[in-house]
Amino acid sequence: MNVMIAAASGGFTDMLRDTAETFGWNPWLFLSQVISFVIVALLLRRFAYKPILAVLEERRRQIEKAQLNAEKIKRQLAEAEQRYAEILTRANAEAQKMIDEARESSAHLAERKQQEAIAAAEQIIAKAREASAIEHERTMESLKRELGRLVVDTTAKVTGKVLTAEDQQRLQEETARQLAS
Amino acid sequence: MQHCTFPRLSLSIFALCCGGIFATSTIVAEPAVPGPEKSEMLPLRPAELVHIGKFTITNSMLVTWAVAAGIIIFAQLAMRNIKPVPSGAQNFWEWLVQSLYEFLENIIGRDLVKKTFWFFATIFIFILFVNWFGLIPGVGTIGWGHYDPATGAFHVDRPLLRGGNADLNMTTAMAAIFFMLWFVWAIQAQGVGGFLLHLFGPKGETSGIVKILMIIIFFMVGWLEVVSILFRPIALSFRLFGNIYAGESIIEALSNMVPLLSWLIPIPFYFLEVLVGFVQALVFMLLTAIFTLLIAEHGPEKAH
Repeated sequence: MNVMIAAASGGFTDMLRDTAETFGWNPWLFLSQVISFVIVALLLRRFAYKPILAVLEERRRQIEKAQLNAEKIKRQLAEAEQRYAEILTRANAEAQKMIDEARESSAHLAERKQQEAIAAAEQIIAKAREASAIEHERTMESLKRELGRLVVDTTAKVTGKVLTAEDQQRLQEETARQLAS
Repeated sequence: MQHCTFPRLSLSIFALCCGGIFATSTIVAEPAVPGPEKSEMLPLRPAELVHIGKFTITNSMLVTWAVAAGIIIFAQLAMRNIKPVPSGAQNFWEWLVQSLYEFLENIIGRDLVKKTFWFFATIFIFILFVNWFGLIPGVGTIGWGHYDPATGAFHVDRPLLRGGNADLNMTTAMAAIFFMLWFVWAIQAQGVGGFLLHLFGPKGETSGIVKILMIIIFFMVGWLEVVSILFRPIALSFRLFGNIYAGESIIEALSNMVPLLSWLIPIPFYFLEVLVGFVQALVFMLLTAIFTLLIAEHGPEKAH
C-alpha cells in the first residue's frame, strides 16, 4: 500500500533510492558483483564441476553398458538354455527313435534268425530223418540178406541137402517177404 | 613422487596467500585512520577496497573469490588422480556432486538437470561455503580501523573480508543472473510464443462464453504472474541477505555484549549460523530450481 501511495505521489524512485542507500546497494557495486559472480560461476563450471561430471557421466555410461551387457548375456544364456533344451529334446527324440528302430530291427533280426534257425533245424531234422530212413533201409536190407542167408544155411543143414541157386533165391525172397509183412 | 609434490605445493601456496592476506591486513590495520562509524553494528554497505574505473572490488567480493579458489583447488586435487574405487577427497567430492545431481534430477528431471546443473551446483555449493566462510574468526574483524581513546580498544572500520552473502549487491547479482538464465532456459524450452502462452494463456478445457471469460481472466492473471516473476529476484536476494546479515549482526552484537566473554557467548549462535547457512543455500537453490521447472515443464521436454 505504501509503495502504491509512494508511486502515486511520484516518490517511488526516491523510495527505491532510499532503500538501496539504506541496504548499501549501489548500481556499480551490483555490476561489479555481477561480473565477479559470472567469472566465478564460469570458473567453477570449467574447473570444479566439468571434470567430476565427466567422470560421473563416464561411470554412468559404463554402468549402463555393463547393465546392457548383463542383459544381453542373460538373454543369450536364456537362448542358449532354450537351444540346449531343444537340442536335448531333439536328441532324446532321435535317441528314442533310434532305440525304437534298433529294437524293431533287432526284433526283426531275431525273428529272422529264429526262422532261419527253425528252418535249419527242420532241415537238419529232415536230413536226420532221411539219413535214419536210409540207414534203416540199409539195415533192413542187410538184415534181410543176413536172415536169408541164415534161412538158407539152416534149411540146408536141417534138410541135409545142397540147395540150388533157385532154392536159395526162393528162400531169401520168402524170408524178405515175411520180414516185410 | 610428483603426484605428492603438486598437492603439497598447491596447498602451501594457498596457505601462504591466505596467511599473507591476513598478515597484510593486520599490519595495515596498525596505522589507524579514525573512521566515521563508531557503531557496534555490522555496516550494511560492504567496504570498497580497490577501484577499477567505476567498478569496485569489495571485501565481500574477496571472500567469494577465496571460496571459489578453495572449491576449485579442492576439486582439482580431488580429481587429479582418479581411482575407479574413490577414496578420501575424491570420494567426498563425488559424493557431494553426485548427491546434488541426483537430488536435482528428482526435482527438475533428467534433461533439465543436464543443462542447468552447473548453475544450481554453483548456487548451492558456493553459497554454502561463502556462508560458512563468513563464520571463520577474522572475517569482519581484521582490517583497517582506529583506536578508540575512550575505551582503548581497536575498532575495525574497513574489514578486509566480509561474509559474501551479507552484501545485498552480491545476493542481487546472483538473483539477477539467475533471472537472466531463467529467461533463456524458458525461451529454449517453450519458445517465445509458448512462453507468452504460458504466462497469459487460458488453462483448462472450456468452450463458448466460458472460454472467452477464461481468456480475459487468465490474461489479467498473467500480468499478476509477470509482477510475481519480477519480484522473485528481489525476494531471493533479500531472503538470503537478510538471514546472513542478521546472523552476522547477532554474532557481532553478542561478541560485544560482555567483553571478557566475547569468545564464549556467540558459540551457540555459530552452530545456529552453520545450520542457517546450509538452509539458506538449500532454499536459494531449491527455489531457483523450482522456478526453472515451473516455466520449463510445459515445454517440449515434458514429453520425456
